[in-house]
Amino acid sequence: MTDKQVYATPMNQGRAMVYRLLSSLFAKELDQQLLHELTSSQAQAFFAQLASDPLLAQDIASLNSVLNTLNTDRALLELAADYCGLFLVGTKHSASPYASLYLGDNDASDEILLFGEQHQQMKTFLQQSQLTVQSEFPEPADHIAVILAYVAHQACCSDDKTQQAFIAQYLNAWLPQFTDKVMTVDSGNFYAALARLTQAWVASDCDALQVS
Amino acid sequence: MNRRDFLKGLAATSFVSLSSASVLAPFKALAAAGTMANDDWLTTGSHFGAFKMKRKNGVIDQVIPFDLDKYPTDMINGVKGLVYNPSRVRYPMVRLDFLLNGHKSDTSQRGDFRFVRVTWDKALNLFKDSLDQVQTKYGPSGLHAGQTGWRATGQLHSSTSHMQRAVGMHGNFVKKIGDYSTGAGQTILPYILGSTEVYAQGTSWPLILEQSDTIILWSNDPYKNLQVGWNAETHESYGYLAQLKEKVKQGKIRVISIDPVVTKTQQYLGCEQLYVNPQTDVALMLGIAHEMVIKNLHDKKFIEGYSLGFEHFLPYLLGESDGIVKTPEWASKITGVTPEIIRDLAKVMTKGRTQIMMGWCIQRQQHGEQPYWMAAVLATMIGQIGLPGGGISYGHHYSSIGVPSSGAAAPGAFPRNLDEGQKPLFDNNDFKGASSTIPVARWIDAILEPGKTIDANGARVTYPDIKMMVFSGNNPWNHHQDRNKMKQAFKKLECVVTIDMNWTATCRFSDIVLPACTTFERNDIDVYGSYANRGVLAMQKMVEPLFESLSDFEIFTRFAKIMGKEQEYTRGMSEFDWLKKLYNECKADNAGKFDMPDFDTFWKDGYVHFGEGQPWTRHADFRNDPEMAPLGTPSGLIEIFSRKIAQFNYDDCPGHPTWMEKSERSHGGPGSDKYPVWMQSCHPDKRLHSQMCESEQYRATYTVKGREPVYLNPTDAKQRGIKDGDIVRVFNDRGQLLAGAVVSDSFPPGVIRIHEGAWYGPVGKDGSKQGGNEIGALCSYGDPNTLTQDIGTSKLAQACAAYTCLVNFEKYQGKVPEVSSFSGPIETQV
Repeated sequence: MTDKQVYATPMNQGRAMVYRLLSSLFAKELDQQLLHELTSSQAQAFFAQLASDPLLAQDIASLNSVLNTLNTDRALLELAADYCGLFLVGTKHSASPYASLYLGDNDASDEILLFGEQHQQMKTFLQQSQLTVQSEFPEPADHIAVILAYVAHQACCSDDKTQQAFIAQYLNAWLPQFTDKVMTVDSGNFYAALARLTQAWVASDCDALQVS
Repeated sequence: MNRRDFLKGLAATSFVSLSSASVLAPFKALAAAGTMANDDWLTTGSHFGAFKMKRKNGVIDQVIPFDLDKYPTDMINGVKGLVYNPSRVRYPMVRLDFLLNGHKSDTSQRGDFRFVRVTWDKALNLFKDSLDQVQTKYGPSGLHAGQTGWRATGQLHSSTSHMQRAVGMHGNFVKKIGDYSTGAGQTILPYILGSTEVYAQGTSWPLILEQSDTIILWSNDPYKNLQVGWNAETHESYGYLAQLKEKVKQGKIRVISIDPVVTKTQQYLGCEQLYVNPQTDVALMLGIAHEMVIKNLHDKKFIEGYSLGFEHFLPYLLGESDGIVKTPEWASKITGVTPEIIRDLAKVMTKGRTQIMMGWCIQRQQHGEQPYWMAAVLATMIGQIGLPGGGISYGHHYSSIGVPSSGAAAPGAFPRNLDEGQKPLFDNNDFKGASSTIPVARWIDAILEPGKTIDANGARVTYPDIKMMVFSGNNPWNHHQDRNKMKQAFKKLECVVTIDMNWTATCRFSDIVLPACTTFERNDIDVYGSYANRGVLAMQKMVEPLFESLSDFEIFTRFAKIMGKEQEYTRGMSEFDWLKKLYNECKADNAGKFDMPDFDTFWKDGYVHFGEGQPWTRHADFRNDPEMAPLGTPSGLIEIFSRKIAQFNYDDCPGHPTWMEKSERSHGGPGSDKYPVWMQSCHPDKRLHSQMCESEQYRATYTVKGREPVYLNPTDAKQRGIKDGDIVRVFNDRGQLLAGAVVSDSFPPGVIRIHEGAWYGPVGKDGSKQGGNEIGALCSYGDPNTLTQDIGTSKLAQACAAYTCLVNFEKYQGKVPEVSSFSGPIETQV
């Protein structure tokens, strides 16, 4: 569709790259291959460009400094354990990556079930874009990695207003809470920095889309 | 830099991560996944009931009772909360330090640690490597894979069968004998009545309703306990309880609940209560027996014709052997029941038809064999064993016992053992002088004191040196006693593997945790109506296994493949091949008696109904002809005195029923000056043991400030300045917990209740987040086994004695910790 190609501007491609990267970092633990790519010169150029935004600079630096320490299998495993404690077990003492646990009117004593309303909503969005969650990623569709990947996909094929409305409601609305939780629970620095970076990026992107 | 340049600059780097494939895929590629229609009602079942379920957008939406279940439990409301629980074990996980250091890991980290996700392949290989190491280094006595529990229902996917068959194909291992529910009862009763009685069909309710004049519910709460069953429960007993309620109202049947507390059944039936001091029931029974003898109320003809050894018991009753006459006055001082009431009971029980119905709690105490034995003696003295509506039963509160059996054969199960001719990889049966089977509740003792020899049921048991435990569908960090002792024991284990669906405390204290899917994520087959065998139920898969969880069949098929034994394990059959086989074998067994359609029709219909059964009287055949239909006892008769038990020469289980003081007893008994309160930890009203405790919204219907309720007498509460709804600290020398006060007249002074099955959630001693793995930790939710005593009932059964437990309690003034039980492992140290 030609009208969709209209949105595939270099600007939107840049935005999509950021969302895709953030999605991939939340989707699973860092492995050797991903680490290799993240420390490549191309990636470093990308990070340097991101860091030119003063709002993002510090967290990019934090991420980079952790990446530079990951030179043993043990270090990668420790980071994987951080990931596990944050995103793969439980909810209350972890920082579950599901939108449903932050959106809605749940107070602390009322646990929301997985695969609930937000999951269904995201599934509907995905289906409208002829998309679904990859079978190798057996997570509810309201997982942060899915939402970020969806935004990356939308970046180059829908108008700013539509994107802004989605990001505001389904991402920006709960990222501050999520980031707080990650910062409280994270026993390392990587995911706290990643969460802050994501929150800052999404907030500023959301603002910019509104202005435009 | 403006935004345009900034973003263009990003794009210009052309950074594309290749390894981070998108989590999204084109929708069409997965179209095949939508094969299950959304709007069909499917049948399935569980311990909580047989159900019908409906999906919406691929997610379980509605759960309603099976058509034939007229008295469903409201636990049905907790089912979705089990499946979509945030504490699901989502992926195979390994404790980080175990991954790094294997059998030399820092085991003090257990319960307070870091896990990492691994692939199924990696996890199962680690599992097998651990088994290899233990079998090579220690032999079969180093491995205990016999600690099994209530699993989930289903004849094919039964987790116990799969785990034990697969681990058994690898090598031999230590097993258990008995269970936590009825350990003392099932050990003593074969000597007395010739069978376990606890797991046997009982006299049918229609006959009891027709014939009984008096029903004694002795420490028995059927209205609470019949909500759950070993198989898919269809709750037919409740129809009979409703009739009983009517008969009580009309004055046609007198029901007396002998219990320290007002039970749920008593409240429902509107029947009488006879209060008795906790743990003193044997003294009360002896007082009644004494009165029967003195007033010549006992049935001497029945005693003579059907029992053995009354003459050995009589001198004890009359005080000739020990100088203590077991008069109602004597009993009164111990039991708190007046002599007049005891005398009246002797009269009531011997007049008209009397059915004694024993509950199970009463035998989960020190000398728990004795009340069961003495109650059998009372029933023998009454002389109505084998008559409809008379005699004694030990299971009318369990799994539809008393509902007339259909008489049909039930479907078989996936084999738990190796097939004939199959050999394990490590074909070694050398237990190095240790016992290969140990009493179920003694495994922690074994871990702590390997090589120690104890008496058990006439044998000498030598504790094996256990280095590795495998648990599947089983949560010993609920059902075993004394958490602090367990922590010490677990530090000695080299490897712990747990397979479960949600993060139980047992998972948290493990090294390798494997995610099993729930009942509703696989196809299976079960009998419904438990002991009544009312029909066969299709358990139709509702949704695909969530996350990376797998069915037990799939988990251990993969494990068998690693051992090169996949074909041996599955016999080359798939899930549906097995279902068809189990169904068709059942069909063949019932041929000519019960019509069963072909498998496909059955699967489409969802069930096969066997119809109503014929009323039946327990022990009637024995009563009719004790020579042709003897009991399974050594003499074939009821053994009031057991020569066999007497020959064991146990000080805590002599040759006839005996009142013995407990190591801890309230109401003036030993230890009550320091800890004056008896804690009962009976089966929960709103769970099956620990199953469903994690179902959050349902749990919220009964918790108090997010904690498990502790039921307290108003006077006790007032003395301590406690109000309904307060957080209470319950403690003794063994441990401490927080629970939420429910102040109620149903509980007498000096008695509290905390239901077992409350998930263990340790935090630091002072309520801080750190230190949950330490000895003396505070349970933030209210697991009563933080406080219970880990001792055997006696040298006979060596069974769980959780009911011999004294505590005290106070209003909690400290820092209130968040409940830590339901959120997976908590990392408190790095």
